Amino acid sequence: MEKYRRILITIMSLLVLSAVIAIIDISMNLQSGGKISFGSPQFGPGIGVVRIEGPIELSNQMGAVGLTANADAVVARLNDLERNGSVKAIVVRINSPGGTPAATQEIYQKIWKLRKKNIPIVASLGEIAASGGYYIASACNVIVSNHSTMTGSIGVIAHTPNLKRLFEKVGIDMTVIKTGRYKDMLAYYKDLTADERAIMQNMIDSTYNRFLKDVALGRNMDQTEIRPIADGRIFDGETALQLKLVDAVGTFEDAVDRARAMAKLSETSPVYDEMKSPFQQLFMGFESMMRGGNVIERSMGSIQQHPYGLEYRWMR
Amino acid sequence: MIETLLSLRWTDYFLYVLVDPRSLYRHISQNDPKAFALSFTVPAAAAIVDILAASLFGNQTLFFFYKITYGWILLSIFYVLKNAVISTIMDASAQFQGMKGNAREMVCLINFSMFPQVFILPLTCIFVASGFAPVFFYIAVGLGLSVWSALVAIQGIAEMHRTNTGKAVFIFIFPYIVIWASLFFMTVLLFILMGGYLSS
Repeated sequence: MEKYRRILITIMSLLVLSAVIAIIDISMNLQSGGKISFGSPQFGPGIGVVRIEGPIELSNQMGAVGLTANADAVVARLNDLERNGSVKAIVVRINSPGGTPAATQEIYQKIWKLRKKNIPIVASLGEIAASGGYYIASACNVIVSNHSTMTGSIGVIAHTPNLKRLFEKVGIDMTVIKTGRYKDMLAYYKDLTADERAIMQNMIDSTYNRFLKDVALGRNMDQTEIRPIADGRIFDGETALQLKLVDAVGTFEDAVDRARAMAKLSETSPVYDEMKSPFQQLFMGFESMMRGGNVIERSMGSIQQHPYGLEYRWMR
Repeated sequence: MIETLLSLRWTDYFLYVLVDPRSLYRHISQNDPKAFALSFTVPAAAAIVDILAASLFGNQTLFFFYKITYGWILLSIFYVLKNAVISTIMDASAQFQGMKGNAREMVCLINFSMFPQVFILPLTCIFVASGFAPVFFYIAVGLGLSVWSALVAIQGIAEMHRTNTGKAVFIFIFPYIVIWASLFFMTVLLFILMGGYLSS
């Protein structure tokens, strides 16, 4: 009997050992913030991934699960990767129709600084990387686009509904008290005057020129090469390649491989992706369903929330 | 207490779960060493093992530390309460059939019968490490271990009431039928009530 008792103690010890191993594995997973599997713990030099999903804004809007896609969060993630000694190259995964100029430029400038520090940066374009999405991609050393990615849409837009005639029909008068003649420029209850249109056009032209300049700088091209195709049109990945707007057609994995090659890392080097637990992914899916569409469709809807701003955004 | 621990006689309960569930009940009835308190270590161990095994899949956030501390306490309490409720209904079911009631020993038996379920952790570790359909095997092994636990409980009940396996199976299944049927009817009634409230 004593022998069996000792065997049982051994079995229990093994159970405890397996619990300790499991805790160590899960803790390692937490500390690295990467997709580490129990079977293949990953350490050392690798690729950092930053994801830009949905409309690019500076506002601190949070999803139901607390995940943000605003420019500050992206810049913070890039700062983390910059400080992480294990990250030798960065892949920026972009799935965005664009956003506000300020937010887009914040991210562009951050990527550009990293590029100047000789950190290889590869942009991987997802379903859509148009307008501001492409603006950000242009800051990277290399752009890898999916064959069916909608990209391009280089341009600036500002829009507002004109409800003046509707208001007249319904009998609504707006009482406006303002300090200057242009204070209610682009207001929805009145027509845009010629002066106001000129002011807006100047502003848009200036923002557009900055867009063009930055894309030309990032792509190492002349502005005169880009201007003919920078009329707001979108391209698929293949056409964008022919127009030299992207460097290669491929998948996210291809972009990671490209980053590895640029950083002279082995094919098995780890990928430090943004941490998203299965629960977060599940709830993100639910959140998307509840809002009645995917991230991109939502971003189209959110245009209505910011009708007066200038935007680097592709419009349907 | 220390003498009992060093004697390793307490391991007999766990040994009998694995090799001879009928002897397990006989040992529980002898109550040497005291079985009741010891039996609650099994739901507590099963709770932590379940949390760890499930956490091996996918990336974990800092929420893991909450799960492994507060979550473990919560799940342990749930298992203990579940076992207490199930054991009580099983005991009532046995008494309805003219058998002698013994809720305390039934609780011990049901607690100890959970012991095979702790093997899910080392097996999950192996499946995840090998990377060979870990989720499938996690579910399959989990079901297998649950069946093993059920067999331990059924044999223990058969020994407790000196009855055949058929009646023991009925006693074992009865609480689950009662609970699920109650939950089903409660849900139906709740929906009817909600429908009535909204329409009136």
